[in-house]
Amino acid sequence: MSKTDSYNMFEMDGEMEKKKKKKIKKKEKLEGMKKEMDIDDHEITIDELEMRYNTSVTKGMTSTFAQQILERDGPNELKPPKGTPEYVKFARQLAGGLQCLMWVAAVICFIAFGIELSRGNLTCFDDLYLAITLIAVVVVTGCFGYYQEFKSTNIIASFKNLVPQQAVVIRDGKKNQINAYQLVVGDLVEIKGGDRVPADIRIITSQACKVDNSSLTGESEPQTRSPECTHENPLETRNIAFFSTTCLEGIATGMIINTGDRTIIGRIASLASGVGNEKTPIAIEIEHFVDIIAGLAIFFGFTFFVVAMFIGYAFLEATIFFMAIVVAYVPEGLLATVTVCLSLTAKRLARKNCVVKNLEAVETLGSTSVICSDKTGTLTQNRMTVAHLWFDNHIHAADTTEDQSGQSFDQSSETWRSLARVATLCNRATFRPDQEGIPIPRRLVVGDASETALLKFTELTVGNIMDYRNRFKKVVEVPFNSTNKFQLSVHELEDPLDLRYLLVMKGAPERILERCSTILIKGQELPLDEQWSEAFQTAYMDLGGLGERVLGFCHIYLNEKEFPRGYRFDPDEMNFTTSGLCFAGLISMIDPPRATVPDAVMKCRTAGIRVVMVTGDHPITARAIAANVGIITEGSETVEDIAERKRIPVEQVNKRDARACVISGGQLKDMSSDELDDALRNHPEMVFARTSPQQKLIIVESCQRLGSIVAVTGDGVNDSPALKKADIGIAMGIAGSDAAKNAADMILLDDNFASIVTGVEQGRLIFDNLKKSIAYTLTKNIPELTPYLIYITVSVPLPLGCITILFIELATDIYPSVSLAYEKAESDIMHLKPRNPRRDRLVNEALAVYSYFQIGAIQSFAGFTDYFTAMAQEGWFPLLCIGLRSQWEDVHLQDLQDSYGQEWTFSQRLYQEYTCYTVFFVSIEICQISDVLIRKTRRLSVFQQGFFRNRVLVSAIVFQLLLGNLLCYCPGMPNIFNFMPIRVQWWFVPVPYGILIFVYDEIRKLGVRRYPGSWWDQELYY
Amino acid sequence: MATLKEKRTCGQRCEDFGRFVWNSDNGTFMGRTPEKWVYISLYYVAFYVVMTGLFSLAIYVLMYTLDPYAPDYQDRLKSPGVMVWPDTYGEEDIEINYNTSDKACWTKMSKILHKFLGPYNDTKQLECNNYNCTKGKYFIQKTFSAPHHTKWACPFTQSMLGPCSGLEDPTFGYNCTMPCVVIKMNRIIDFLPTNHTELPPYVNCTILEGQSNVAKIEYFPDRGVMDLSYFPYYGKLAQPTYVNPLVAVRFSLVGEKHAKIQCRVVGDKIGYQSYHEPYEGKVTFYLKAMK
Repeated sequence: MSKTDSYNMFEMDGEMEKKKKKKIKKKEKLEGMKKEMDIDDHEITIDELEMRYNTSVTKGMTSTFAQQILERDGPNELKPPKGTPEYVKFARQLAGGLQCLMWVAAVICFIAFGIELSRGNLTCFDDLYLAITLIAVVVVTGCFGYYQEFKSTNIIASFKNLVPQQAVVIRDGKKNQINAYQLVVGDLVEIKGGDRVPADIRIITSQACKVDNSSLTGESEPQTRSPECTHENPLETRNIAFFSTTCLEGIATGMIINTGDRTIIGRIASLASGVGNEKTPIAIEIEHFVDIIAGLAIFFGFTFFVVAMFIGYAFLEATIFFMAIVVAYVPEGLLATVTVCLSLTAKRLARKNCVVKNLEAVETLGSTSVICSDKTGTLTQNRMTVAHLWFDNHIHAADTTEDQSGQSFDQSSETWRSLARVATLCNRATFRPDQEGIPIPRRLVVGDASETALLKFTELTVGNIMDYRNRFKKVVEVPFNSTNKFQLSVHELEDPLDLRYLLVMKGAPERILERCSTILIKGQELPLDEQWSEAFQTAYMDLGGLGERVLGFCHIYLNEKEFPRGYRFDPDEMNFTTSGLCFAGLISMIDPPRATVPDAVMKCRTAGIRVVMVTGDHPITARAIAANVGIITEGSETVEDIAERKRIPVEQVNKRDARACVISGGQLKDMSSDELDDALRNHPEMVFARTSPQQKLIIVESCQRLGSIVAVTGDGVNDSPALKKADIGIAMGIAGSDAAKNAADMILLDDNFASIVTGVEQGRLIFDNLKKSIAYTLTKNIPELTPYLIYITVSVPLPLGCITILFIELATDIYPSVSLAYEKAESDIMHLKPRNPRRDRLVNEALAVYSYFQIGAIQSFAGFTDYFTAMAQEGWFPLLCIGLRSQWEDVHLQDLQDSYGQEWTFSQRLYQEYTCYTVFFVSIEICQISDVLIRKTRRLSVFQQGFFRNRVLVSAIVFQLLLGNLLCYCPGMPNIFNFMPIRVQWWFVPVPYGILIFVYDEIRKLGVRRYPGSWWDQELYY
Repeated sequence: MATLKEKRTCGQRCEDFGRFVWNSDNGTFMGRTPEKWVYISLYYVAFYVVMTGLFSLAIYVLMYTLDPYAPDYQDRLKSPGVMVWPDTYGEEDIEINYNTSDKACWTKMSKILHKFLGPYNDTKQLECNNYNCTKGKYFIQKTFSAPHHTKWACPFTQSMLGPCSGLEDPTFGYNCTMPCVVIKMNRIIDFLPTNHTELPPYVNCTILEGQSNVAKIEYFPDRGVMDLSYFPYYGKLAQPTYVNPLVAVRFSLVGEKHAKIQCRVVGDKIGYQSYHEPYEGKVTFYLKAMK
């Protein structure tokens, strides 16, 4: 686990720079950032540092000077990313593709209304109503969407840590505690185990200080911080502790060299805000759909404009027809349907602990084809845990699951008892008090990570460690240091009659082995000969190869003659036996994967989603975890593996043979973007290790270049730029840093990677179901439009009015179209490949054409049949209706004769027209019931899917019928909404057409199922 | 994704569209090969032929079930509408405005009335409706006793309107301040205007505004009665020669010579109170004579 890979986080690939046609301003910003990185505060001497910041390493700064600097630099806190102002968020809700379509339609309505007004037609307010309704729909759904997002933002906000951080600072030679935001550059601060580092600090003195850099670099292991400069790169050197990392143990004092947004974390966070947000796939799909609609609308409008001109209408009238047709094409109800469907899914996801910040992101997961996952904290628990033990010449696997549900190893061996005793006694970590109720893995521990792991492990296996330790009274201890690389302690024995002392020791395995002369096998002390050394070496290599940190354990009973009771053990002199010990075993630790991850990765794989690991951690660990969770599958080899197996140089290996590939940040730095694309294309199983935040961004971009829809999961600040760049960024709710949560589109409240699988499933389902909803909603556009077309061309009394259309669009049909969102998947969607964003469109030609020109046409025929029936039965034969329009609509004609010679006043005719509206409305409703039933499935027969499986849909149909009846038969309706109480039998006229729709679609589906790939399938499957 | 989002120039878009229209690589025109276009067109032709066939069948069945003599329902015709002639409209209401000194103006009115009374010409009526009806009771005909399998219709001649018939005074009084208007009630099949046979429906005009401007209201025929023998109406097919009974009303305008008048056909089955149907059982108009 060498750290020689250089870690240049602000490298900017020239290639990338060229490619990105970003605004110059931003480029300058990034450039500026690059320059600012050239800090040398860690290289210069303390004296120079004192000079530079006008401070003192003993007394600190003077309060007054600190105050001045505070005024100059501003408070030491991350400026919250420039939150989008609320009104902009709201405005964004009003400016989607569909919304724009509706705005345009509303404007057209206003224009048409204006034209009507100027022509002196004062009675026609339909256009005005329509315009107002259109605007109302946009605004109401906008409010709804805004409210949804507002709610999830609140959930996220509630996670933010609101407790102000405190810091111990030395000013004017006095120590005092102040709020961390008051710190300034040059301040002398003290940190100790458990503190969060309050700013970027140059370490001046330290005692066994270790920090957790995982949120910055992704390394799970604690990093030592000491005063000496070990690397020219500020991120690699040991004498800088970074803002917002946690000090795990030890104490240190240091001088602040950067505060607030100028800290490394601050810069990464602002890098994230510099990355543009990507348009969601669903937004692209909706835009594509709007294009189709607009195209068709204009095509239709223009055709009928020409027809109207040809028939002999005046230009102005024809223009109004044109406008009316274009507007009639706008599916008013669709916006509401889409919004409600998405928010239903968002709600469903929220129940499964995925909070979606942006409604549209709900679907994005379904389209995802690559997940770039961070390792630490996302795939792993971010908690060192004992993974393996080697004793009795066997590697035993420990239970690494979070809830201890896994299998345990055989604990009957005598050797295990000795090993456990060494592990228990030679350990300084202790539980914090008052944690009885909390499960052991979650308890807080004072101590370093590996000791914590051992403590928890022994607590779980042996039990009641504190008590156990008390029974073996500790006499002396030598803590771990980097020169001897071991830790030992001497204890009295439990049995008061046994006066021997027990020396226990743990440390780097090779150092421990050097000191041993015997080895414990099945409780027997055997001489440590070549054979056992060999066995030890193999085990050590094996465990190390798993990316685990290995510790060796040994013990010895000190001779009571030589070391009688009361012997003065001197930890510095070590005046006691430290060699010829008895080797007990090895224990290896790792930050283990979360229990649910392997399964989830497997599911992603079956769902055709590639999981790529992108981590800041070391390649060996990364690879081990990748293999563990299934990102690298069993049997997959990297180029290096093949080279080793075939005993040939790496260069001779055909790269295509290697499924897996591990690329470190150093290698990545030397790769051009084409090479990276190639690597991503050639190796299905990729692991990127030691990557910088910039490189994560490059990897995401490369995936996107290859046409994938990329999800990025992460928790650290270092992930935030990539989270932002991804098509969908997924942050961890518990472990995630604020920066990551801000940049993400979705947040997993339980940090469970498996929730992503749920998200994918829901996303795919909603895509399929949206397709169905849209198909359902689009269909009725034709029966709403044809009456008008016939009205213009054949001059029949208007069969369907504007208000009635609005009722269909916005009242009766909303619930059924939303209910399709509850439809179960037709096939196992998690076994399909992710959709190809270029080919599998939300609304394709087949869908539009089939809905419009087949089902919609049948519905129109149904409507006209019912219309002519109602007209004829009231006295107006179909042939008479044709060309009747001008007389029919003549307000001054009070004795128009029908086919029977009866005379009708204008209002009588008007109510008859309303009757027609209602009849047409009822026809559309009946056909739409049939339509919603056929839309349940696209391929399967409805009988296979189950008629009543979707309860919501059934209740939606009932609701639709009830509402239809209410509109028809509620008193007062004729004069308010132009609905008439129609004769009951007119409800049944369209029924045969409804049955026809159902049967026709069943035949279509049958053909699609029977003859996949045939002409029928190509033309009629949507 | 990145490729999907690339901003394309207009030229590229046009090129793409051009390729969509005609793609020489796989010989597709607008996304389909010509062969496929033929198939899909045939499919649609067949589809629409079948649908039109079904629709025609439905209309045929509909027409087959209809009674040629009377409509199935008269939901909108519960009560007949009433209209006045000359039917000259102002902005919204009927406004019979004329100028006694302007001949062109009042001849317009009398022309309307002459035209309206055309079918009521005495000779024409005696020619086509020569049946002698019994006055004072409904003329109920159960059988088609008239020639050509029709039913008899009672004649209503122009001359029954007396001074307002236009025979004696072709100006209908529009050259002076005593204008005639003609009230017609719409015909409805099988409609009987009243249950009381002793009291036939009659026209009653009231002055809504300008009471002092109307000195006298005269009705022709006498009392403004519509004789019961004109009811019921049996429809165009059964009674091709039927004419509605009319009532002429003559107003004597004085003073400002301006009034708002409502004429109602009174009959206990003739509604007139519907707010939404202003012409139901009554007609309201403005009458104004100018010098």
